[in-house]
Amino acid sequence: MENLLYIALFAPLVGSLFAALFGMTPKNLITGFVTSGLLFISWLASVLLLIHVLSHGTVSANMMEWIGAGDLTIDFGFAVDAITAVMMVVVTTVSTVVHIYSIGYMDHDKGFNRFFSYLSAFVFSMMILVMSDNFAGLFIGWEGVGVCSWLLIGFWYHKADVGTDVNPSISPSWAANEAFIMNRIADLGMLVGIFLIYWNVGSLNYNVFFDAIPSLDNGLLTSIGIALFIGAMGKSAQFPLHTWLADAMEGPTPVSALIHAATMVTAGVYLVIRANPLYDAIPNVAIFIAYLGTFVAIFAASMALVNRDLKRIIAYSTLSQLGYMFAAAGLGAYWVALFHLAAHAFFKALLFLGAGNVMHAMHDELDIFKMGGLKKVMGGTYLYMGLASLALAGIFPLAGFFSKDTILEVAINEDTYIIWFTLWVTAGLTAFYSFRQVFLTFSGNERYKEIGAHPHEMPTFVLVAMAPLAILAVIFGFFMEPFNEFVTTILPSYEMSHETHHIAWFFIIITTLIALSGIFYAYKKYASGLIRDKELESSFVYRLLTNQYYIPALYNNVIAKPYKEISDMLWNKVDMKIVDTTVDGIAHFFFNNGDRTRRMQSGNLSHYLNWMGFGAVALMLFAVIASMIG
Amino acid sequence: MDNILSILIFFPAFAGVLGFIVDKNSARAYGISVASIEFLLAVWLWMSFDGSNGSMQFVEMLPLVPDFGISYYLGVDGISLFIVVMATLMILLGMIGMSIEKDIKNMIISLLFLEMTMVGVFLALDAVIFYLFWELSLVPMLYIIGAWGGPKRVYASIKFFLYTFIGSLIMLVGMLFLAYLYHDVTGTWSFAITDWYALVLPIETQIWLFIAFFFGFAIKVPMFPFHTWLPYAHGQAPTIGSVILAAVLLKMGTYGFIRFSLPILPDASVYMITPVAILALIMVVYTAMIAYAQKDMKQVIAYSSVSHMGIIMLGVFAMNSEGISGSIFLMLSHGVVSGALFMLVGVIYDRRHTKMMSEFGGLASIMPKYAVIFGIMLMASVGLPLTIGFVGEFLVLLGFYNISPIMTIIAGSTIILGAVYMLSLYKKTFFGEVTNDENKGLKDLNSREMYSLVPLVLIVVWLGVYPKPILEPIDNSVKSLVSFMDKKAQTQEAKDIIVSPKKEEGK
Amino acid sequence: MIGLNEYLILSGILFSIGLVGVLRRKNLLMLFFATEIMLNSANIAFAAISGHYGDLSGQMFAFFIIAVAASEVAVGLGLLIVLYKKQGTLDLDNLAVMKG
Repeated sequence: MENLLYIALFAPLVGSLFAALFGMTPKNLITGFVTSGLLFISWLASVLLLIHVLSHGTVSANMMEWIGAGDLTIDFGFAVDAITAVMMVVVTTVSTVVHIYSIGYMDHDKGFNRFFSYLSAFVFSMMILVMSDNFAGLFIGWEGVGVCSWLLIGFWYHKADVGTDVNPSISPSWAANEAFIMNRIADLGMLVGIFLIYWNVGSLNYNVFFDAIPSLDNGLLTSIGIALFIGAMGKSAQFPLHTWLADAMEGPTPVSALIHAATMVTAGVYLVIRANPLYDAIPNVAIFIAYLGTFVAIFAASMALVNRDLKRIIAYSTLSQLGYMFAAAGLGAYWVALFHLAAHAFFKALLFLGAGNVMHAMHDELDIFKMGGLKKVMGGTYLYMGLASLALAGIFPLAGFFSKDTILEVAINEDTYIIWFTLWVTAGLTAFYSFRQVFLTFSGNERYKEIGAHPHEMPTFVLVAMAPLAILAVIFGFFMEPFNEFVTTILPSYEMSHETHHIAWFFIIITTLIALSGIFYAYKKYASGLIRDKELESSFVYRLLTNQYYIPALYNNVIAKPYKEISDMLWNKVDMKIVDTTVDGIAHFFFNNGDRTRRMQSGNLSHYLNWMGFGAVALMLFAVIASMIG
Repeated sequence: MDNILSILIFFPAFAGVLGFIVDKNSARAYGISVASIEFLLAVWLWMSFDGSNGSMQFVEMLPLVPDFGISYYLGVDGISLFIVVMATLMILLGMIGMSIEKDIKNMIISLLFLEMTMVGVFLALDAVIFYLFWELSLVPMLYIIGAWGGPKRVYASIKFFLYTFIGSLIMLVGMLFLAYLYHDVTGTWSFAITDWYALVLPIETQIWLFIAFFFGFAIKVPMFPFHTWLPYAHGQAPTIGSVILAAVLLKMGTYGFIRFSLPILPDASVYMITPVAILALIMVVYTAMIAYAQKDMKQVIAYSSVSHMGIIMLGVFAMNSEGISGSIFLMLSHGVVSGALFMLVGVIYDRRHTKMMSEFGGLASIMPKYAVIFGIMLMASVGLPLTIGFVGEFLVLLGFYNISPIMTIIAGSTIILGAVYMLSLYKKTFFGEVTNDENKGLKDLNSREMYSLVPLVLIVVWLGVYPKPILEPIDNSVKSLVSFMDKKAQTQEAKDIIVSPKKEEGK
Repeated sequence: MIGLNEYLILSGILFSIGLVGVLRRKNLLMLFFATEIMLNSANIAFAAISGHYGDLSGQMFAFFIIAVAASEVAVGLGLLIVLYKKQGTLDLDNLAVMKG
């Protein structure tokens, strides 16, 4: 079984290195095929591992020692248990589809080979992240996906910076740097968590740490829990570190589908799920996570309501759904969070890939106000995006229905009515903005003609490649019970109380109702065409939402600009004018004194004699005073 | 080869003297072959070094002035071994990548002399010999900056020379005083560092001695506020000078702290943790911010060096083997990475004769190989896991966390601030459109540059994934150092802070 | 009665005159004279103290000084003549060739 584990882990790396060999040469289809093939192998190995874990339990492997210093020993150790197996299958499924999809999508791109190299490297990092059996290994993957995300967001690095009024993300390279730096802020929190664990437990291994939890002080556990969650907040783009996710949409769309929807951004959720014994021991932090997740859910959904950018809408919905996952995890329903994570990965990746089709068809135009009526030319994509949006909105019997309803049920079960109500409202908003986007893109008048676009459907193989995701988005919900049984071998099981069971049907109905009414409202408002409401668009709330609550501007003005100014000031004023000038001043003091006393050497014997006399008298005086003093 | 250490030290100097009669046109080939042999010797030393043994090996001892206990005393342990290997490697690669044509013969000879002094500093176990090489190393560097440097080279080189020289004079006073104390206690003179280790001094004296040594080492490191010579020196030095300066010369300072201050003055070292750590923190944060404000690529890397040296200083004063091993590893990784970065800046300077970031933009499309190697080094510089930069940084921060969590968090901001200035440098230089027409015709790395940079890339990845062959011998020596300090420390406070490793060396 | 004190006072006065001369005069020849005066003031002091204590070594020392001063004057005056022939002046203000 260890071999399977290594195959699943290293196949993407091999693919990445292979593609990297062609990195600087013109497009070569072989890179796409080889990486996709290797990804498929990795997927196959993951599925086999899943089956094995299903019957035999955890598979672990220790490759070699990585760092050993003092009493610290960190191994490249891997363990595949139920959680990891699920994550592996989700990651490799989505990645394989995205790889195949990209062969079509990146068809005309100069950086075709490079793209596949980065993409496979990302999958490799993600696999390390989920497979590692210790926090240091997790951190390798954690940073690894960060770098790959940096490379991929900035994939079209050659684009110049533009003002935020033209493009809110300025440029791909700017967005890439923003994402990397934001993540680094959170990574510092994670590092602190790791240090705390090491100095108090003596090992970074998950199991050793979890076993030690009962013996650790509560305050300490709280610190660890907060520190690790700060790490999770960065990767999963939780408020206030959320701004990078929307800007990350500058990357190629397959990247957004894989990294910024299905896998990397869920790493934070994965961490919280993985550290469930820790968060069970500190309910205060856990409930905070739940509230923060709930807040992010509605906060992001509200921004999605008014956005005109196809990809940014989906990005906000991702953010919102991540909020749902954190809410579930924070409430202790870890398996539900994991289930929503998997379901979300499938339908969100599908949604993004569909958006990619639209973008391809519209020659990189992303403004949904300039689309409309695309269903005539892009029937397949319409179907996919419609399905994915239905799943996102949580309509029976699609995957999102099961996972989202269970989360709402958990909120009722825990008597956290604020969370329930907020998430319930968010469900309605979600349905509205998803279908606003679908209708504006695919129905109504054909506004794209005004900008002279000639949309066309993607090649058939691309649509076929997307099919597995569509199928999963439809049927995955029915696997909820087996899924529950499988992952609760590792995760704590979560049982609804009897009362909740009794009234569950009622909540299912009202949730479905609000979702349906959201869809209906979107249908009424947008299906027949776009009618712009100038009054609404100039209202304060609308502008607040389109400007993302002015948070990016705030960060720019309160953090980025002052930082630059302080840096300039430190350099020009402090370092050059104070520190360096002091040093030079000391040197000048000696130099100037020497220069001044140099005049004593006038060459005039008479002067020398005078100085000599003066010196003799001074010395005598000194001797006299010294003898008088003692 | 019993005298391998002497051969290592004097072979380059001997070859340098012979270099005067070598023809000007073959000087470069001559230099590279000498440096290669020297590097192979260093590798041979590494191979025959017993990594599981934490004490001094290959010891050579020859009394010079027996009346005053001055002897020619050499030895190597895990702490110094790899710095020597790294120094010889960087000289070799620097020579390969060197593009200087003017007075090439003099340059080669200076480099070989410099190599002697650098290797000598790290192998010397007698304070007088140590001081001799320490000061001698200034001379070739003064010449390299002063003769091949930029427009303000004379100012820069003299500042470098005088500043470090004054610091080392204070250190010399400390050394003499220590020798005097030794004589006072034992009745015999000795300048052997290992003899000094046995000296147990009152805390007051220790603190005075610590301060004296501190000046010598801190200016070399350079610690805030003694760092201002460095940007000038880097700004004016030719590429090879910057490479050697950043990769090796700065390490003398931190090495000095580990070799002298910690084991000789354990109580004072513990007592001074807070002030030193505060200076180190200022170094880390303040110079990282200044690096962000720079407009010149080379200055960014120069200031980033100071910032990273701050992390190394923290590791040295972590007083546990995780932190100290980490800081020694970070010295190596910083040597490799900053050396490579300076070489990379040199590459673009050779082509455009400017280092201003505003002159560039979009280089990634024109020089892809250059961009890739620069990108890898950048990632190593910001401490990405599985590159060489992570291991040391992680261990240092981990180690220092035991001293002060708050300070570690402030120091940990290096992973953010480092990313800020390095990524903004990368973005300004490599990303965006090619706006400057002069850049359109730039050639990608030529084979000479590839030969000098690719080995460094391989090292960066190799030691990032598998640091054990180097980390283990370092750690064994550090463990015995820390246990020794723990035993020697007199105050309870010091004993509490110094953490002896539970696992004994060599296991 | 002329006692030791009077001799020493004379010696002090002479030394002061010589010192002032050394410090104030600008002519090299005058400087020589002034130095001679200072040397002789020392001789007076030596001789007087020698007489006072009845110890001959002081007077012997005075003879030494006279001998040394004589040879010094011989060499010094020779040098002065050469210098005067070369420079045409003995004024110190015009002889500052060693200006730093």
